[in-house]
Amino acid sequence: MMLFARRDVPLDSDASGRFLPWLVAIMVYLAALALISALTMSRAIGHWQEGLSGTLTIQIPPDQVVAKAKSAPDALDRVLDLLIATPGVREAKVMEPEEIERLLRPWLGAAASLAELPVPVLISVTFNPAAEPDFAALARAVAKISPDAVVDTHQAWLGKVRDLARTVQGIAILVVVLIAGCAVMIVAFATRMGLSVHGHVIELLHLIGARDSYVASQFQAHVLSFALRGGMIGLLLAVGTVFLAGEVLKGSEAMVLPELALQPLDWSVLLLLPVAVALVATLTARFTVLRTLARMP
Amino acid sequence: MTGASGAGKSSLLSMIYLARKPSAGRIRLFERDVTTLSRPETAMMRRKIGVVFQDFRLLDHLTALENVALPLKISGQRDEKVRRHVAELLAWVGLSEHLDSYPPTLSGGQKQRVAIARAVVGRPSLLIADEPTGNVDDRMAVRLLYLFEELNKLGTTIVIATHNESLVARFDHPVVRLVDGGVRVDRPRKGRA
Repeated sequence: MMLFARRDVPLDSDASGRFLPWLVAIMVYLAALALISALTMSRAIGHWQEGLSGTLTIQIPPDQVVAKAKSAPDALDRVLDLLIATPGVREAKVMEPEEIERLLRPWLGAAASLAELPVPVLISVTFNPAAEPDFAALARAVAKISPDAVVDTHQAWLGKVRDLARTVQGIAILVVVLIAGCAVMIVAFATRMGLSVHGHVIELLHLIGARDSYVASQFQAHVLSFALRGGMIGLLLAVGTVFLAGEVLKGSEAMVLPELALQPLDWSVLLLLPVAVALVATLTARFTVLRTLARMP
Repeated sequence: MTGASGAGKSSLLSMIYLARKPSAGRIRLFERDVTTLSRPETAMMRRKIGVVFQDFRLLDHLTALENVALPLKISGQRDEKVRRHVAELLAWVGLSEHLDSYPPTLSGGQKQRVAIARAVVGRPSLLIADEPTGNVDDRMAVRLLYLFEELNKLGTTIVIATHNESLVARFDHPVVRLVDGGVRVDRPRKGRA
């Protein structure tokens, strides 16, 4: 009904009504970026772990691999024989020089020729998904054949990546918590300011029989509307930023970086963000009004 | 209620309409000691009291209609009947042309009548008017007091504060005089014209 549509406390005409939605927008924007980085990180770790857990790489120094023409088996042949005999091994593949060259080109440049460099021979080993290989025993067996060979199970690297991911996630959570605290403080401050600016209106509402909860509902409605508006703006800006960043990274050769595409789960978390902010802000406004009014005579 | 400026009329009234608490003593209203009421109880009791403030205290961002409807909105009445009821009330105080006017565009007398309409819209048991004739000419003042008499006949207790002795003399009602921090009550003299 039109007669009751308007709020009794004219909070919309305050300066706070103009800058608060933007404050909320900025906070939601930062929180969304923090969350997106955390989500992307954990998904990337998942991918890497999946991709690497069933594999290992063996490096054999080039001086122990002699020309193919030689009749006696060299270290490479013996290691390959060992791998074929090892249970659970699905594939043991010697990397072609072209492939190694491709992997090294970003570091060495196109001009470098592998023939002149002591590049180790790489064997990429893939295990059956069900197999639980004894990496230590295999490493000992390889060491017996070629003491300088390196068996890389990727575990150390994965561990470091996991630590990095946990750090990034921890920081993201900290950022979100700090932003939530910031939102609470800003809303509490704005509400207290509104209470004092509109003190005469609130006093009148009380004198004609308004309960504290009625006054609080006026503030809640105001805060809910600006928090939702600001939250949606912030979320749209964050999604736009991620989209742009994804476009920029697509062109680069940063293969190590995780893909910046949002999954359905990410979307629901992100959409929840402005809703959560609006809820926190509304509850803060209610709590602040009720607490402030209860202290009044 | 009458008394010289500064005698304490407004202070006493503000305690009666529960805006202030007495620093000593007790006030009984509707069979309750109001000094012991909780905040929600105070709110409920205020709904039985209509107040015409000396400075009207209309909300400038709401129309006359919305201002008068405010006590009903606060007490949770929000149906279609409210609009008609409020419009009728404003017509009764002669403001049917100004339903959608904002207080700053109204004259002092018009604002006063909006304030009176807001004070009576919730059918209060007690109506308090602080200097309701302070801002209007004598002709309007008499008209307003007749309006209060009408309400009184309908069963509302009415307390009016004024320092206008000639107005007090024109009406035949009990008079509370605040003199030197004390109270003197004059009963109406029977047979007076």
